[in-house]
Amino acid sequence: MAQSENRRMTQKRKRHSYYDYSLLFLTLFLVCFGLVMIYSTSSFNAQRMYGDETHFLKQQALAVLLGITAMLIISKIDYRIFLKRVLGLPVRLVTLIYIGAVGLQVAVLIFGREVKGAKRWIDLGFISFQPSDLSKIATILFVAYVVNLAPRRLDKITGFFRVAVYMAPLLGLIAKENLSTAIVIAGIMVSVCFVASRKKLYFIVVGIICVLVGSLYVFGVGYRSERVDVWRNVETHPKGFQILQGLFAIASGGIFGTGLGESMQKLGFIPEAHNDMIFTIICEELGLFGAIAVILLFVLLLWRLFIIAINAPDLFGGLIAVGILAHIAIQVILNIAVVTNSIPSTGIPLPFISYGGTSVSVLLAEIGVALSVSNQIRNER
Amino acid sequence: MATNRTYNRRNIFVVYTIIMLIACLLIVRLAYIMVYRADYYGVRAQQLHERERPIKAERGIIYDRNGVEIASNKPVCTISVIHSQIKDPETVIRLLSETLGLSEEKVRKRVEKVSSIERIKSNVDKETADKIRNFDLDGVMVDEDYKRYYPYGSLASKVIGFTGSDNQGIIGLEVDYDEVLQGIDGTILTLTTAQGLEIENAAEDRVEPIAGNNLTLSIDVNIQQYCEQAAKKVLEEKEAKSVKMILMNPQNGEIYSMVNYPEFDLNDPYTLTVQTGVDTDTLTDKEKNDLLNEMWRNPCISDTYEPGSTFKTVIAASALEEGVVKLTDNFFCPGYKIVEDRKIRCHKVGGHGAETFVDGIMNSCNPVFMEVGARVGAENLYKNFKKLGLFNRTGIDVPGEANSIMHKIEDIEAVELATISFGQSFQITPLQLLRAASAIINGGKLITPHFGVSVTNPETGYVQELQYDVKEGALSKETSETMKQLLEAVVADGSGKNAYLPGFRIGGKTATSEKLPRGTGKYISSFIGFAPANDPKVIAIVLIDEPTGIYYGGTIAAPVIADVFSNVLPYLGIEENYSEEEKEKFEIGSFQVPNFLGKTKEEVAELIKIYEFGEIYYIGEGDTVAEQFPLEGEQVNKNSDLILYLD
Repeated sequence: MAQSENRRMTQKRKRHSYYDYSLLFLTLFLVCFGLVMIYSTSSFNAQRMYGDETHFLKQQALAVLLGITAMLIISKIDYRIFLKRVLGLPVRLVTLIYIGAVGLQVAVLIFGREVKGAKRWIDLGFISFQPSDLSKIATILFVAYVVNLAPRRLDKITGFFRVAVYMAPLLGLIAKENLSTAIVIAGIMVSVCFVASRKKLYFIVVGIICVLVGSLYVFGVGYRSERVDVWRNVETHPKGFQILQGLFAIASGGIFGTGLGESMQKLGFIPEAHNDMIFTIICEELGLFGAIAVILLFVLLLWRLFIIAINAPDLFGGLIAVGILAHIAIQVILNIAVVTNSIPSTGIPLPFISYGGTSVSVLLAEIGVALSVSNQIRNER
Repeated sequence: MATNRTYNRRNIFVVYTIIMLIACLLIVRLAYIMVYRADYYGVRAQQLHERERPIKAERGIIYDRNGVEIASNKPVCTISVIHSQIKDPETVIRLLSETLGLSEEKVRKRVEKVSSIERIKSNVDKETADKIRNFDLDGVMVDEDYKRYYPYGSLASKVIGFTGSDNQGIIGLEVDYDEVLQGIDGTILTLTTAQGLEIENAAEDRVEPIAGNNLTLSIDVNIQQYCEQAAKKVLEEKEAKSVKMILMNPQNGEIYSMVNYPEFDLNDPYTLTVQTGVDTDTLTDKEKNDLLNEMWRNPCISDTYEPGSTFKTVIAASALEEGVVKLTDNFFCPGYKIVEDRKIRCHKVGGHGAETFVDGIMNSCNPVFMEVGARVGAENLYKNFKKLGLFNRTGIDVPGEANSIMHKIEDIEAVELATISFGQSFQITPLQLLRAASAIINGGKLITPHFGVSVTNPETGYVQELQYDVKEGALSKETSETMKQLLEAVVADGSGKNAYLPGFRIGGKTATSEKLPRGTGKYISSFIGFAPANDPKVIAIVLIDEPTGIYYGGTIAAPVIADVFSNVLPYLGIEENYSEEEKEKFEIGSFQVPNFLGKTKEEVAELIKIYEFGEIYYIGEGDTVAEQFPLEGEQVNKNSDLILYLD
């Protein structure tokens, strides 16, 4: 008896101490791989522009260290803290985060630093960051929270609109300066709502309508935006240069690639190869095998998030995991689709790998939240 | 708090499945680009990364007929600096300014200029360049190149021509044989960054250049040089505008020399040779260009003129060929001939009186030829002109040849026929006349005048002999024989006697053409001559343009050819062969010097009566000869001087 009681206790403790190390190590591996690729892609340009070939590597490594620290800390905090009221305020932490995100987006429109014609950066002197990246995590938490309040409402389209109305201020603010991030955020929102709803007919109907309108827009004889023109005539359109150079890089890779560090296209042919176009250099240097390996890494990572999502102790945790899953999946898919010229071009970084301090640290923090959810899984199924 | 329900889990699975499906589609898309489209995009990417750097092919060398280099290549170097690679700018500036002889500021400006590559100096000779290369300075580049070089400078400049910076012939033989000489440029394929910098250690593909073929000409440098000197001499003596001269083998059309004096420096073709009354500094670009083109043109083949009396050879040959005249036919020259309503004068105002056809040629008598021309008739005359190639370009292998300007046959009336008969009222090039004359004296072969003899591949040593058209039957052999005799008589005892050279049989015909418009007192004095008259090995034409003072061809042009022949004929291995009459007249001959040693003055005086010495010099006081010069037994020419030392 005592023995079985004892076993039960240890089992309980075991369950209690569940922590998704697979996700942690997959994340760390991806981030480290990202650093290697950033060094490979940016050293030439860094040497040329700053006289220091590790310039970009150092910047990114700093952000990665910050992000990993945040990830580890957050992972040990119960994610339900977001639902608590804090500092005696009449609002919950998650609402505060959402309001904070909206505030930052307003601030960036006023005080933002303009880079290449878009105000996306807030410069605090010692550090500068992109609020739109912070908005992604805010969106995941806030949408999960709103849906969690009344999941049944999402059975009808009105319920979805209710969530959309809540999200409208943030989406609108972001869409003004950064359409691609707005697409990602909208995607996260839709995914979370989709998971929460029992009736999915309206999603399918709206989805089909979207596809029809989209195709009409793209293939219709009437007005076509420049972006679509570039996509359709990437080889002849003057603005297709970057994508075309990316295609050259991908095609140069062949099956086994030219070898790490041997890319030609990174030598100034692809501008800022360490940013959104980094996947093309991975293809060129590591070949089709390397590219598929990277995609498989993401698939594994998403698999762990999927496991966490279905095993989450409550709907809120599950929806958070779904949001994170959706966020990473959408960015990976859009990024690869853009660089292979499968869809019209839009600037979306490859998660964990592309250069961008805010992006990588926010993503690591998100993984921290996912780990936190995993930490609360009590009963194995 | 809401719980995670089954349908939520199912939905999550749906989301994950959709993601996986899209991921699979992307992998397919990637595979399509990386495998199926790899060739298409890969090749384009390759082209983007590769830079072709041409390696100039060495241009073929041009040799004269004896293998002397007339046009060759000189290795030259270009010194440049690459700003980003310079480690020690001060040393670079100091050493470069010292070795290249440039001012330090000038070098400093170039070295400190922020650019990808900056040229310091080009056309640096190889020695200096090697010195700089041995300094082994970072960021200093020494590029080797070839530059066309003409060892003889101005020799046959308008014939040989020169090349431009891109190894392309600009004028002359360099143009005509451009394809032969050019060779095929090689390339170095290198990989570069988007900024065009070459990547070190990148695999280089190198396509070696193929050197151009060498060309051997019929020109003989020695003959050409002698002719140029002779042309220069007469030009200066007669203060003429220009002198043209062509020496050719009348049997096969090989040209030994072609002079267009003044020539210009092929190593510096863009500098105008001094022209009177033209200030080269104030010229506009167009004016300078026109003057350069004028300087570069080859008037021997590009300019037409009225040949005048030299053309009587063609008229005489046509008349003999048509059988309308015999050598013994009698004519009378009163000093003019009335043709229709015009009185056309002979150059001898008083007239030559009664004369045979032979006398008519020797006297270059216009009324005789007007009569002969009328007998032949326009149609037959033109038939023979055509056979002698006077209506076509000669086909010489230099560009820019002009064609003759003739009356239309239907426009020829008696007056025109009369003027044509003594070489006026139409124009031909000197070369056309030379070719027609060659056909007249070589037995009726219409040859193609040419310079190129053979093309040699420098790699394989394969020699390709160049072939040229020869049309037989321009004239019957009999007419040709007769014409040779007639023309020899012109030189031996007629208007061309100033071209007479003892020991050689020379034939020829003089001419004095008044330039158009008439009455300006501008003439072209010319002479066409060949030797040996019985078996012509060389034919020559000289044209003196606008001589001052005496302008008669027989007086000023014939001696030039005599002078040239006296040197060229022995050079070509044509031996003097004196007739008895000549030996007599010019005291040609030799004898063996007898012994004068120990002989007294009286005895010497006796001996001298037997031998034909020139001046006798006695040196010293005494009665007997102690030394003599030339020594006993030596073979000396008649009229040689004798020196005797008395004791």
